[in-house]
Amino acid sequence: MKFDVFQVSRKGGRQKNEDRMGYSYTREAGIFILADGMGGHPEGEVAAQIALQAVSSLFQTRACPRLADVKAFLDEAVLSAHRQMLAYAASKYMSDSPRTTVVVCVVQDGSATWAHCGDSRLYLVRKGDMVLRTRDHSYAEYPHIGANSGRQPVNRNVLFTCLGSPMRPMVDMSETTPLLPRDRILLCSDGLWSVLADREISSVLGAHPVAEAVPELVERALRGGGAASDNVTVVAFEWESAGVEKTPDGFIDTLADQAYASTVQGDAIDHPADHRELDEAAIERSIAEINEAIRRTALRSGR
Amino acid sequence: MPAPLSKSKPSPLAPDTAIGGYRVVRRISAGGFGIVYLARSPEGHHVAIKEYLPSSLASRAPDQLVPYVAAEKLSLYRLGLKSFFEEGRALAQISHTSVVSVLNFFRENETVYMVMNYLEGDTLQDFIITARDQRAQKVFRESTIRSLFDEVLRGLRIVHQHKMLHLDIKPANIFLTDDNKAVLIDFGAAREVLNKEVYFVRPMYTPGFAAPEMYKRDATLGPWTDIYAVGACMYACMQGFPPNDAPQRAAKDKLSVSLSRLRGVYSDHLIDVVKWCMALDPLERPQSVFALQKELGRLIERRYTRLSMTERVRLQLDLLLSDKRKPPRPPAVGGSAAAANGP
Repeated sequence: MKFDVFQVSRKGGRQKNEDRMGYSYTREAGIFILADGMGGHPEGEVAAQIALQAVSSLFQTRACPRLADVKAFLDEAVLSAHRQMLAYAASKYMSDSPRTTVVVCVVQDGSATWAHCGDSRLYLVRKGDMVLRTRDHSYAEYPHIGANSGRQPVNRNVLFTCLGSPMRPMVDMSETTPLLPRDRILLCSDGLWSVLADREISSVLGAHPVAEAVPELVERALRGGGAASDNVTVVAFEWESAGVEKTPDGFIDTLADQAYASTVQGDAIDHPADHRELDEAAIERSIAEINEAIRRTALRSGR
Repeated sequence: MPAPLSKSKPSPLAPDTAIGGYRVVRRISAGGFGIVYLARSPEGHHVAIKEYLPSSLASRAPDQLVPYVAAEKLSLYRLGLKSFFEEGRALAQISHTSVVSVLNFFRENETVYMVMNYLEGDTLQDFIITARDQRAQKVFRESTIRSLFDEVLRGLRIVHQHKMLHLDIKPANIFLTDDNKAVLIDFGAAREVLNKEVYFVRPMYTPGFAAPEMYKRDATLGPWTDIYAVGACMYACMQGFPPNDAPQRAAKDKLSVSLSRLRGVYSDHLIDVVKWCMALDPLERPQSVFALQKELGRLIERRYTRLSMTERVRLQLDLLLSDKRKPPRPPAVGGSAAAANGP
């Protein structure tokens, strides 16, 4: 499996950055996650962090090195994140629970499948054109839901579902979408799409390698957002191929059988689950992961 | 087995003990996290092996291999492992002559071992102490300091490029090898900074070298935090002892005064660079290693300005006046405004 990935999160004019993103991959499967903790409820950044950790840790357990059923996995992972947020709120006797959006994309067998809840988006860009993107769970993108409620006109940006609320979240599941070489998939928080038009996002993303396109897009969004800009978070990858081949520079090389690589950090928050000590399997996995990193660094530097 | 006294340090593994295919030669050092050994690899090379064995949580009898961890401390012990893994992860991604490299990571004796390059030489701290004891006018020559920190900064730049901060740069963690290379060691405090501003576990800090933001709960750490420590190390190379710690400086900043004593001995430029790195306000420091490298590498004619008697008196006066101000605040750095406009 070969892909080129780049991610960045920058704080806008807000006090906190409640966005979280990360990716993980094994030899045969990759996962990309982005969550945007919601304001108006407590500890949005905790919700986003829980989403990231819950999904990635389930991936870590299930992808050995591939997922048996990608859609079932996505379903389970997102719901498990939702339940962990409620458990977190309960454990702290919070009167209101922390909430977040989430968008998760899994790549396996050369196809991408994704799930989302809320208004963090996924774009699929092919040859500089947007092939598709997710539809936000907002009244702006589902106007009939707002109209049907029969009440006052609602704020179009308000979401009608998210993770962490007492209501069971609505999660949209995509089709299994085969990827072509050079296809780009981009996950972003509303800090990006609220400032940049879809066309601008896809043309910049299509015209440059992700390592250049992503920082450029984020910079444009922050500039466009001005002093009051929202936080802008993007993780994007360029698909190369599903095979195991020699890797050109800059592309992520493939991993040994049981190996696992991740940018998701597991010990970042004050969360009951986080004070769990490492279990045997987690220790073994950490050691394998570090040795894998040593091996890759040695290969890269000819050490 | 009875729990040994908690005060006793865990015993090191005996010479010739085999661990993970390596053979222990001797103990090199011990710290709060565990013990470092000199060992021999199966191929006969020397390596350094760091054993995870926090002395506050684990103990080991002299003839034992497996550490003893009291049941009530087991969970903290396992939690500490995470930091040990962080260090391994940080180092595993980096290959640079100025950063200690990790070669292997393995589990044995119910604990974890990190195998690193064995470096022959001494720490910068050893050199500073030796030089200071000779009571020379300068601890190090300016050209030595410049080339030493040029190497340190090259290594640190790579570390920052990997989105890591070292967070414990001090002379004891800068190793000078016998073949004259400076190497950053001990990444036990290193953390990945990506995306973690909010929930950051404050590492242990070393007074004098820790930037003011290391003492605060919610400040943002960044390259500038390591840069403060680099400035403090340069200061130690010039003075022979560490600078005052940040809280002392916040109450009463004697940095300008003590640096002024070095005028004439070291170039104005070098002194200004140290001052820049050690600004109490993170925003007033070089914001990246690259910015500091650029300044340090600027080809300029070095000027050595001894301060006049009046200038020195003014600096002292500044310090005195700053003492009487209510509420106390740091004096204007290097400025003589307070003396000129004083009561």
